[in-house]
Amino acid sequence: MSDCEQIRRQLADYCVGGLSRRGRARVAAHLRSCASCGAELKALERTGALLEAVGVEVAPDDWELVRQQLAAQPRQRPRPAFRAAWGVGMAALGVVLLVLGGLVLEPAHQTGVKPAVVSVDAEMRGTMENHLSAVWAAPLADEAAVGLGLAELDEDG
Amino acid sequence: MDKRLREVQELVAEARAGNAAAFETLYRSHQAGIFTFVRSLVGEWELAADLTQQTFVRAWESLPRLRQVGAFGGWLHRIAANLVRDEAKSGRARLEIAASSLGDGDAPLRGVEDTSSERPEAMTVSAELRQQVRSALAEIPPEQRAVVVMHHLEGLPVTEIARALGVRPGTVMSRLARAREAMRVRLKPYVEGDNE
Repeated sequence: MSDCEQIRRQLADYCVGGLSRRGRARVAAHLRSCASCGAELKALERTGALLEAVGVEVAPDDWELVRQQLAAQPRQRPRPAFRAAWGVGMAALGVVLLVLGGLVLEPAHQTGVKPAVVSVDAEMRGTMENHLSAVWAAPLADEAAVGLGLAELDEDG
Repeated sequence: MDKRLREVQELVAEARAGNAAAFETLYRSHQAGIFTFVRSLVGEWELAADLTQQTFVRAWESLPRLRQVGAFGGWLHRIAANLVRDEAKSGRARLEIAASSLGDGDAPLRGVEDTSSERPEAMTVSAELRQQVRSALAEIPPEQRAVVVMHHLEGLPVTEIARALGVRPGTVMSRLARAREAMRVRLKPYVEGDNE
């Protein structure tokens, strides 16, 4: 395949900015010395300019019909972000407490294996209680809960 | 931030809160684009008008759930595309349409003069040439046609188109490039040499 054939296969991508920096430099270098490919690029650019000149169509003004339908339609309520985050935060906290509770309550002799955590000391218990209070009072302050809540809302909009 | 974008964001925020007057302003600034997009896919004028109406009604219903107010334009196109798909599935519309079913040679040209300062290469075209371009557009695959209409006719950025169609920006670029090649062949007499 000649240089010109290879370059022409990439000219439209070059035109729309779809080439890598390296590919773009290669095409640009060829164009500096090839009038024929330059003319082809010009034709592609004119095609784009023609499309832009056509513009959008004149649409019918149906606002009155739309307005009547709006008045008759029930509107979806926004899902308050704090409620979503609060729910996720509570669920996550519940899972953590269950896991910790299981580790504390499970008798070591039943498994014959020494558990990784055998007790929750007073400091950890205090931390968990403080976290529970904080999440309850200000759910948006819980970073994990907020992250999950926003991920859930992404699908809506 | 771009002034127009900021205005749209403020209007979207007001419309989300239930302000119908703000939503009317959004309707008036976006209806032509949505109508052009839908008509390029379904062809029939009446059906396109109907689906455009439905797009705005559905948007009003769902607005409270729109998280990124700056993405309003792309989001509207997504709603419109879903409605077109539903129509196509139901058999009431065909996505592969005849060239003759698109275009209106008498429709006034919109946007060219207004956008000439932003798009230096913008040119004025005759009604006949406009009809030729629309007919050529109707011949290329719908997925290419959709991105051409959104990008070239409406002026939406690639990232917004990608978000609206649920594809990667690279896919949009690739479709734009293939469409450009296809349109260049079909518009050969107008884009080669000294013809404009």
